[in-house]
Amino acid sequence: MTKDKLTPSEHAALWDNFRNGSKEAFSQLYELFAADLYRYGYNLIRNKQLVEDCLHELFIHLHAHRSKLGPTDNIRFYMYRSLRRRLTDSITKLNKFDSDDYVFDNAEFMIEPRESQMIEEQTLERQKQMVIAELNKLPKRQKEILYLVYMKGFTYQEAAEAMDITMKSVYNTVNVALTTLKGYLKDTFKKQGLLLVLLFLQYFFKN
Amino acid sequence: MDYASFKVEEFCKDTDFIHWVISPTEESNQFWNSFIALHPNKSKEINIATEYIKTFHFQEFEPTINDLTNLKKRILEDIDSPIVVVNWWSRPAYWATAAVVLMVFSFGIFLWNQKPTSYQTAYGEVQKISLPDGSIVTLNANSTLKLAPNMKNEAMREVWLDGEAYFDIAKLNGVKFIVHTREAQVEVLGTEFNVSTRRKQTKVILHEGKVKLHTSNAQPILMKPGDMATVSEKIQPIQLKMVQPDQYDVWRESVVVLDDRTISEIVEMMEDTYGIVIQFENPRLLSKKLTGKLSLKSTDDFIENLSIILDVEVEKTEKGYVFK
Repeated sequence: MTKDKLTPSEHAALWDNFRNGSKEAFSQLYELFAADLYRYGYNLIRNKQLVEDCLHELFIHLHAHRSKLGPTDNIRFYMYRSLRRRLTDSITKLNKFDSDDYVFDNAEFMIEPRESQMIEEQTLERQKQMVIAELNKLPKRQKEILYLVYMKGFTYQEAAEAMDITMKSVYNTVNVALTTLKGYLKDTFKKQGLLLVLLFLQYFFKN
Repeated sequence: MDYASFKVEEFCKDTDFIHWVISPTEESNQFWNSFIALHPNKSKEINIATEYIKTFHFQEFEPTINDLTNLKKRILEDIDSPIVVVNWWSRPAYWATAAVVLMVFSFGIFLWNQKPTSYQTAYGEVQKISLPDGSIVTLNANSTLKLAPNMKNEAMREVWLDGEAYFDIAKLNGVKFIVHTREAQVEVLGTEFNVSTRRKQTKVILHEGKVKLHTSNAQPILMKPGDMATVSEKIQPIQLKMVQPDQYDVWRESVVVLDDRTISEIVEMMEDTYGIVIQFENPRLLSKKLTGKLSLKSTDDFIENLSIILDVEVEKTEKGYVFK
């Protein structure tokens, strides 16, 4: 899950500090975004060395060109997009296969493990396992869209821009995925209305 | 936003709602808690939408603190080391000329060294390739093999295969040899085996030695001589069965062994390696199994022999053949 909880104006301020040459701001950029970028990079390409090299290049590039960079109030999106381009470019340069065949090829949906002994919850988990098997069959581009929208909190526009695709394909993918979910989970959810109320309360106490 | 009229799906598509579910802030907690307090009839929908959104959860690789601090150190070091700008225009011209010549020369050598060597065979063409490390690869028709640069000096020998090939790997002081396919990685020390990546699946048939097979979503498996492993996205987990390895690499001698293979397997093989499309008007023939060996040196002879064995008329068309 995302860890940075900066508001857009905090993003803009940090970015401006960095552009004006603050070493501290540069270090803060790394601390805030490197781990998350690493995770994204590794889901795009299963190669730690390549991900690290691209991250290294990305930060060096940002630093070297800081005075020429434009303003942004969404650093995370900006960096995700740059990292994705760097990774796809370096794969293409390596000329092994077309980068399209490689990118996001190994990422998989999984169930967040929950500690629960309740039979009803276990049934729900089993049901979810089936949905996840179904979702994992989606084409990798669609999976990447869902990853960006539902795990990284990208807006549709940001996801489209990051992946160089149209907004329409983002919308369509979200629709397909939600239909899949609905088909599998609807009945279970109806039957387990009570359980859901429980889960719901738990969720609110946690927050 | 008129959240009061929202259904589950609309909540699931709303970016603000998604943000609240995946990374709640004080502000968003306040907003949504008071919304629910005002519209208690929406709590069920909100709750289902929350569950839906949380289902889209991907496996993530967590970089270690070590990974991150080392990387940061590397970045900061490279930033701090000052880049020396040589004012070549202020120096005698021969310096600049020498530098340019040297640069072009070394860049050429760099490209020459880095360029991955690649082999490609046409339909019906089989090529025997000697690799720099002494291994021998027989590349079947309609296949591509790419080599990693500097195979001889690296700590690991790597090749990428699309199609089918027979590998006879030279032992090299424990230096691993890895064949990458779309579906799997075959890791070996020194051995003989056949790899085919046709029809969206990777088949590895081991003749001798030991092979370790890696895939993205299963434990690596160790293969014994005679094993045939099939890896594909559709069939999970890896299928392992004992076969007679010789029958699967006779393509090297342009012979096909029919034993225990259905006609439809043979038809697929003809399309993959020779680009010849064979159609059957009677689909029941496709599941038939034959025994024996057929020469593939001449396609016309092969087709004629097949039609005699199957006892059906055959007709040549523009693209291939139709069995009546």
